[in-house]
Amino acid sequence: MGLLPYINAHALDEDYAEAARQRAGSGQPPRRRIGRYGAAMLAVFALLTITAAVQTSRDSSSDEQERQALIKQVKDAKTLVDRENNQVISLQTENRRLQQQFLASNSDSLGLLGEVSLLGLRSGLSPATGPGVEVVADDAAGAKSDRNRVLDTDLQKLVNGLWQAGAEAISINGERLTTLSSIRHAGSAITVNYVSLRRPYRILAVGNRQTLPSRFADSTSGQAWLDLQQEVGLRFSMHTESSMNLPGSDVPQLRYVEAGDKKDSTGKGPT
Amino acid sequence: MIAIIGLVVGIVVGLIIKPDVPIGLEPYLPIAVVAALDAVFGALRAFLDGLFDDKVFVVSFISNVFIASLIVFLGDKLGVGAQLSTGVVVVLGIRIFANVAAIRRHIFHA
Repeated sequence: MGLLPYINAHALDEDYAEAARQRAGSGQPPRRRIGRYGAAMLAVFALLTITAAVQTSRDSSSDEQERQALIKQVKDAKTLVDRENNQVISLQTENRRLQQQFLASNSDSLGLLGEVSLLGLRSGLSPATGPGVEVVADDAAGAKSDRNRVLDTDLQKLVNGLWQAGAEAISINGERLTTLSSIRHAGSAITVNYVSLRRPYRILAVGNRQTLPSRFADSTSGQAWLDLQQEVGLRFSMHTESSMNLPGSDVPQLRYVEAGDKKDSTGKGPT
Repeated sequence: MIAIIGLVVGIVVGLIIKPDVPIGLEPYLPIAVVAALDAVFGALRAFLDGLFDDKVFVVSFISNVFIASLIVFLGDKLGVGAQLSTGVVVVLGIRIFANVAAIRRHIFHA
């Protein structure tokens, strides 16, 4: 007999039949009424069921409360992070202002001020203004696959070519490139400074506008982009501008900082 | 009559004191309820068959609840608690359906 038919056939405990047989055998009258013990057992059964139901509903409501509490914690933490980020930015701005004020007030350190502003320009922390070229790069018309689209490596080549050609400051769609910027794919979009960009990619490069285009065209990246234009149809245009304003990058993500040794006048050591 | 009084008393007591189940016993409570349900339907069928016996009911109720919880407890210890509780629920479920079918035949003669 299979397991399921067996369970079906023996659904009723055989003890009931057995007990009835024994009673009949010993001549006692059959006991059909539900007695005190049976009623007590039924009370236990009802208690058990109610307890399980109460427990389940209590658990689900406490689960929901926990979930809400967690959501609230996450939101609070996010607000806190936002607020502290804003504080960092304002403190940095203040710091820069005080630094310039301090250096400008001291005639000995005027050279230092120039160095600081040059470094700020080069590292992308301070805004840059000046003549340069504007490059607009875009996917091929009616692009269907990644083959006809601008990839992160293409933008990297383009930017490296511009640096090579003597650009002093570069921004892509308003995102200033710093020494710590990355250009990479995240999902289907290209991100620069962890900000997703949308095509067309408008690259501003401050530099000598007479030499930038020709030097770029001579570089390997310029050649590569010429190939890209001809082979897969990427759109590319470059024209000069007499004045452009590039924003500064907000917060440099300092990864490793150590207090400098004051005796170390050579300027080496970890920064 | 006394059976209904028993049920009502159990429900009222449960609703009033709302007993707190120890956290360790909590996973076994649903299985215990299913096992108890099986015993109760078995008893109802025996009652309608004219075979009901108080002692058998008490023993079958307690042993059902105990064995079902024990199987799930063992399963938890062996790491197959979920599968074993599924097995217990399936077997008890089939028994409950079979008993309810017999009860239905008794009441509606169909």
